[in-house]
Amino acid sequence: MGAVDITYCQMLQSGGIEEGPFDVALIEGAITEEWQAEQLKKVRSVSKFLVPIGSCAVCGGIPAIKNTSKKAKEMEQKVYKDISNLTSLETRPIDQIVKVDGYVKGCPMGERDLTELVISLLLNKQPDFLEYCVCVECKLKNNICVLVAYNEPCMGPVTNAGCNALCPSNNRACYSCWGPIRDSNAKALANQFTKMKLSSDDIFRKFTEFGQPTKEFEAGVK
Amino acid sequence: MVDVNKRIDVDYMARTEGEAAIRIELEDQPAIVLKIFEPPRFFEGFLAGRRFDEVGDIVSRICGICPVSHMSTAILAIEKAMQIRVSEQTGILRNLMCSSQIAASHLIHLYMLAMPDYYGKNSITELLPDFQKQTDRLIKMKEILNGLTGLIGGRALHPVTFLPGGFTKIPEQKDFDKILKQFKEIQKDAKEVVLDISRFKVPDFYFKTEYVCLDKKDGYAIDEGRIISDDGLNISVDDYYDHFEESEVDYAFAKRSRIKGRNYFMVGALARINLKYDKLQTETKKMAKEIGFAVPNYNPYLNNLAQSLEVFDLIQHCIKILETNKFKHEDYSVKIKEGDGGAMTEAPRGLLYHWYKIDSKGIVAKANIITPTSHNFLNIEESLKKMVKENLNKPRNDIRLMAEMLVRAYDPCFSCSVH
Ligand code: SF4
Ligand code: SF4
Repeated sequence: MGAVDITYCQMLQSGGIEEGPFDVALIEGAITEEWQAEQLKKVRSVSKFLVPIGSCAVCGGIPAIKNTSKKAKEMEQKVYKDISNLTSLETRPIDQIVKVDGYVKGCPMGERDLTELVISLLLNKQPDFLEYCVCVECKLKNNICVLVAYNEPCMGPVTNAGCNALCPSNNRACYSCWGPIRDSNAKALANQFTKMKLSSDDIFRKFTEFGQPTKEFEAGVK
Repeated sequence: MVDVNKRIDVDYMARTEGEAAIRIELEDQPAIVLKIFEPPRFFEGFLAGRRFDEVGDIVSRICGICPVSHMSTAILAIEKAMQIRVSEQTGILRNLMCSSQIAASHLIHLYMLAMPDYYGKNSITELLPDFQKQTDRLIKMKEILNGLTGLIGGRALHPVTFLPGGFTKIPEQKDFDKILKQFKEIQKDAKEVVLDISRFKVPDFYFKTEYVCLDKKDGYAIDEGRIISDDGLNISVDDYYDHFEESEVDYAFAKRSRIKGRNYFMVGALARINLKYDKLQTETKKMAKEIGFAVPNYNPYLNNLAQSLEVFDLIQHCIKILETNKFKHEDYSVKIKEGDGGAMTEAPRGLLYHWYKIDSKGIVAKANIITPTSHNFLNIEESLKKMVKENLNKPRNDIRLMAEMLVRAYDPCFSCSVH
């Protein structure tokens, strides 16, 4: 019994109170099945706050790459010979199904934002999530820009901050594992990539690795 | 008619990775179904069409506990397919990452997932405050082990420096020195881990199976070697498909693997320790003697103890590597080449196989991933059957708990198994 009690988490404990009510529901993972969507709606109805944690829940993440396949059945057949009992739907982030009260972004999710969320809820204040792009973190760290200096196709300009510009700090282009930043100018970055001689397939892959179902990154592949 | 009194349903296997249920029919010949209902994510399906240098970042997301295993196995397979040779240093650094990740993964399983059962509790938090010391030890060790994985990889979960061809950045020597010092500090904690786990009152159970693991000439094979078993298997990883086959079952989204013409087999810590006992560090063998653990050992519940010995062993192993190597920046550029290839590593939970076909533009044409839990699937079911049969006279709740404990002992990862 402390400031925070975990009442239901099958990964960590047997038993628990599945039916709620919950002060806070932290939701991990994207939705790919109808039963998950139903369960999610139930959880929403018994929770004061509901927050998706991690890129899959926030923006679809890696599992949403499957949405890029034009022929879903063919793609499924690459994995199973018998697909008759599959009921998989398009991958959707949590906020496409229920109302959410914030986002803890990142893959893996950012500890800073998770702590910020928990403390804010305890203090009954509005959480202050980072709402700027990875480039800002680069500038704060005085990184050499891998896009400008080495012509690396960096997704930093359209990706939400939180990782402290991890990839550029390790001589690598960002691949957007934190998902899109709100109001990002994906179109402009895609044009820049074209100028850098990336093929349209390459640009498509950049904007669909994390965040295929989001309208922000949709602008990048158009 | 099914008699419901003769059935045990565990609707949700708690304290394991991913989603699965167990159904047990309490007949003279018990029937067992391990229903892995974790929904499929179709990694092998959507990997087709992605670039070779994205694959590591993508497959690391198959699992939040063993991302390094998926990443290294995929990258080794891609390097095989594209005929990329890497430096000795790259191999050593990858081995350090795999070793530290295995030890960290074992610790989570041992303390957070397995231990509560042995003290009649639902979770590690219920073990507090009595187990404060153990919990502190777990947190401290995990932080240091992740510290090494993260130092080399940029971060411990889903590393970023790790690409086909090599590492994008090599840490500074002073940071390696610092982590070496910390590793030396947790040597005695590792001893305590083995002692903690040796106190588990493990059910007396014998299940003869075929143990399978990777083996190489010198040292305890983790990320290279031949596939061997105690039933005479000794093959190159290139011949994997000639000897292993996977099949679909209608009650699980994971596939079930078996050795062709034979039957179930077991992979993971207990298999490794059984087959490679001689290759453990001298200190580890001493430790094993001290707690009275000898091989061969065919009690799957003791996979926990084998894991604790590996924690101890791998920490010694990392210390030796860190003491004898200096690392420098190297070229990691690669040339795109068409081809196909497979690779295998020892993930925390056992043998993990990845295979890729890459086209002339560096794009994945086909992918195949077979995880430790698929390898163990049939073994889990068969050992459960035997255990239940031998305990039919016990109260239902005891059987249920023993069944859960047995499944947990394998440290299954249902999310990995479905992928
Ligand atoms: S390296 Fe990437 S994230 Fe950093 S400033 Fe340049 S474009 Fe932005
Ligand atoms: S730089 Fe981009 S890809 Fe790298 S960790 Fe940060 S958000 Fe993820």
